[in-house]
Amino acid sequence: MTPFGALLRHELRLLARDTRMILIAIVLPLILFPGLILVLRAVERDETERLDRGEYQYAVRDTAQARDLAELLERALTLPGDRPGARFDRARTATPDSALASGTVHIVAEWSGADTVQTEGPYRPGVTLRYRADSDLSRAAATELEARLLALGRQERDSVFRAAGFPADPGRVLELEATNVATPAREGGARLGLLLMPFVLLLLLTGGSIAAVDTLSGEKERGTLETLLTTGLTRAEIIRAKLLAIVALGLVLVTVNAANLVTYLVIGVLELPAGLALSVAPIDALLVLLLLVPLAVLVAGALLLLSGRVDGYKDFQIAFFPVMLAFVALAAPAALPGMELRSAIALVPVAGLGVAVREVMVGERDWLFLALAWLSSGGAAYLLTVLAERGLSTERLIGGAMLSERDVRGGPALFPYRVARWFAVLWALFFTVSLWFGDALGVRGQVVVNLIVLFSGATWLMIRWYRLDARQALSLRAPPRRAWLAVALGAPAGYVTAIGLAGLVDAYLLPVPQSMLEAFGEAMLIETIPVWQLLLFLAVLPAIAEEVAFRGVLLHGLRARMRPVAATLVAGAVFGLFHVSLFRLVPTAYLGVILATTVVLTGSIYPAMLWHFLNNAMAIVPTRMGWIDVSTEIPWWVYAAAAVALAASFAVLLSARSASPREERASPQGRTT
Amino acid sequence: MTAPAANDGRVRVEGLVKRFWDEGRGEIRAVDGIDFECVPGEVFGLLGANGAGKTTTLRVLATTLQPSAGRATVNGHDVVRSPESVRRSIGFHSASTALYPRLTAKETLEFFARVNGYPADRVPGRVDELLDRFDIRPYADARIDTLSSGMKQKVSLARTVAHDPPVLIFDEPSVGLDVVNALELRRIVAELRDAGKTILFSTHVMPEAEKVCDRIAIMHGGHILSVGTLEQHRSRTGLHYLEDIFLADLTGADVAAP
Repeated sequence: MTPFGALLRHELRLLARDTRMILIAIVLPLILFPGLILVLRAVERDETERLDRGEYQYAVRDTAQARDLAELLERALTLPGDRPGARFDRARTATPDSALASGTVHIVAEWSGADTVQTEGPYRPGVTLRYRADSDLSRAAATELEARLLALGRQERDSVFRAAGFPADPGRVLELEATNVATPAREGGARLGLLLMPFVLLLLLTGGSIAAVDTLSGEKERGTLETLLTTGLTRAEIIRAKLLAIVALGLVLVTVNAANLVTYLVIGVLELPAGLALSVAPIDALLVLLLLVPLAVLVAGALLLLSGRVDGYKDFQIAFFPVMLAFVALAAPAALPGMELRSAIALVPVAGLGVAVREVMVGERDWLFLALAWLSSGGAAYLLTVLAERGLSTERLIGGAMLSERDVRGGPALFPYRVARWFAVLWALFFTVSLWFGDALGVRGQVVVNLIVLFSGATWLMIRWYRLDARQALSLRAPPRRAWLAVALGAPAGYVTAIGLAGLVDAYLLPVPQSMLEAFGEAMLIETIPVWQLLLFLAVLPAIAEEVAFRGVLLHGLRARMRPVAATLVAGAVFGLFHVSLFRLVPTAYLGVILATTVVLTGSIYPAMLWHFLNNAMAIVPTRMGWIDVSTEIPWWVYAAAAVALAASFAVLLSARSASPREERASPQGRTT
Repeated sequence: MTAPAANDGRVRVEGLVKRFWDEGRGEIRAVDGIDFECVPGEVFGLLGANGAGKTTTLRVLATTLQPSAGRATVNGHDVVRSPESVRRSIGFHSASTALYPRLTAKETLEFFARVNGYPADRVPGRVDELLDRFDIRPYADARIDTLSSGMKQKVSLARTVAHDPPVLIFDEPSVGLDVVNALELRRIVAELRDAGKTILFSTHVMPEAEKVCDRIAIMHGGHILSVGTLEQHRSRTGLHYLEDIFLADLTGADVAAP
């Protein structure tokens, strides 16, 4: 047995011997879930019966037409509605409103038709039913009375039709039949798919949290963590073993509880809704299980990270609540009606898996997006694991209040460790603004809020907060002269190759819906905004504000802790993510990488600003001027020429770089650690 | 100093500094440039009051803290560059290294032998040997949470040496022990020294240091004030009791300090 094997067995053994944990995490839900379902069912049955056989009191408001109305109601009440067992009695009261409020009367009917029953012309009665939606009985009475009144209406209409010589049966005017073509299995899958994620998530979070708090915070509190950390195991081995133990517990929990529910179904203690069949093809069941693995790892990773960060059980309890809410928030979009996996949702951890599970449960398999959903949650899980591992290496874990210099003093040395957080928060704000206020703000409003308030504001805040040298953080230096030549050559080439790249993505990876293309085209065309304003809001301001944020502070922060190539790629990808559209992700990330590269190579942000401006201007002006439209085809040789020109542009940038020895290759701070 | 040979069983500390920061007090130098070397068959004592820097030094040697400056090697391995090799070479025991309450004594020994890389096929034999050597056999299959503190102490010592490491680090091991258990601890430490282990032993109890340690380093404020055998300390200061020697060193240090 390897040391890691011994550790894993040890972790599992500790979990298995935690009697209270077993009772609360495994045994309790075994009893609780079916019990809860049974009780709910029984209550629901009783309630339905009570309403079906209910005795309802109705009052008629005392107006001139009260007698006509009472007669109308009596005729309607002889007809069968949805609850034939229900009985209606008229209550005679002078104050129907207060009777309704006090609950002695369930419904108040009031005449709202013509002033009198007309002797000539069509008979046109009108009835207003007043009820109280907060009372089950009142609500049931209203729907039932409404159903019977409608039945009476149909009867009256048929007799009018008949008198006028129309066919007596309206069914002969329009034959209508709705046929459900979904198999019961698919229908069952759709319903179960909706319930499965919350069910699994609940089990993973409750069971996992008990295991996670025990395995790290618990070890800290009992003093065994230092013993473990001074053994020959690596930090990574320790985290992985603990993670696997929690995942194993989670999967056991899910399996045991699912098996438990199935057993109850089979022996008939619980029953499925009538007509609902449950049969999932083995491959789909396997797929669902496969989709749940990254979820289990993600939950385990988050809980482990939390457990390592907090100081003990009590702290964990407090910190657990927001984590649980975060997971619920992430899982919620999957339950929204009409949500499809073939959208940006696939990139959202947890939510993507939820939608994926739903689609698989009804037999749909969109492999590309299943893989995307799996990878996004899996990637998030991996990230959390790495963070948890790092948490285990921090000295605070053992040394108590030990802090490093950068933690206490802050400043430029701390910034590279905080830049990711800043941009995560910025992204969330940006996303919220686009989602909730996009329409209200309009194009110009959005640009002002996003570029000036969010990006420029955050940049200014970061520079102030960490006392950064703005010239250095934003690469405010004169570039080598040849850089301008490279931009003049590169910007059109970059724009054309980006279109080509978008075309490739569209053709082979992710077809862009036509509606989206048109919408994007329209945004560029907005006739009500003059061209100079379009250029100002969509080219000049982005070229300044986005460069300062993404190729300025973000790139600066990343470069202190990453190699230039990695920093360039990450900065580009982040820029792509800020365009919050799956379909624009690849081309914008591509542009982001190009712009970051020019900054790295020239040491200056100005060429990137010009490049960005030219790029956006090229997207606006030709379309707006009507020189080209969405259907304009670009011949292949233009793409080829653009690729060559782009390569030449970078060759110029590279030569400019080697020609200027005074250029700083990497940010001097951060490297010293 | 020559480059340390791998697996030489020695502990070498050169110019070791450990700084950390406190929001109120600013920079704190818990260990401020200390040097010492400890060889196999020797019990090297770190004697000092609370806050002298003993535990910080030992934690750097156990790789749970990173040195801010200077260098430390254990059994020929650098604490920064190969922490896993260092940890496999040591047994670390302190008042804060507890045992797993849900394991039995036997399982505890097995676990720590395995995770420290003791050859898997020889683990059962090793555990057997430890059960006898530390008189644990009568309660080998009892869970740790049912044992008395004396029994726990024995299991804890046995798990420290479970993988037969060449270097042992004891950080104030006698804190909270009664007289009988403290005596037992001393006997075991002496036995381990005689078996050729390199032993680091920190304490703030003067008579204990006198009885257990071959050489004693007197620590104060992150510095080592003096190092030597008890005899060397006596002849250097002309004082008999370690307590007096310790106080004399401290007074000297304070007078010398600006």
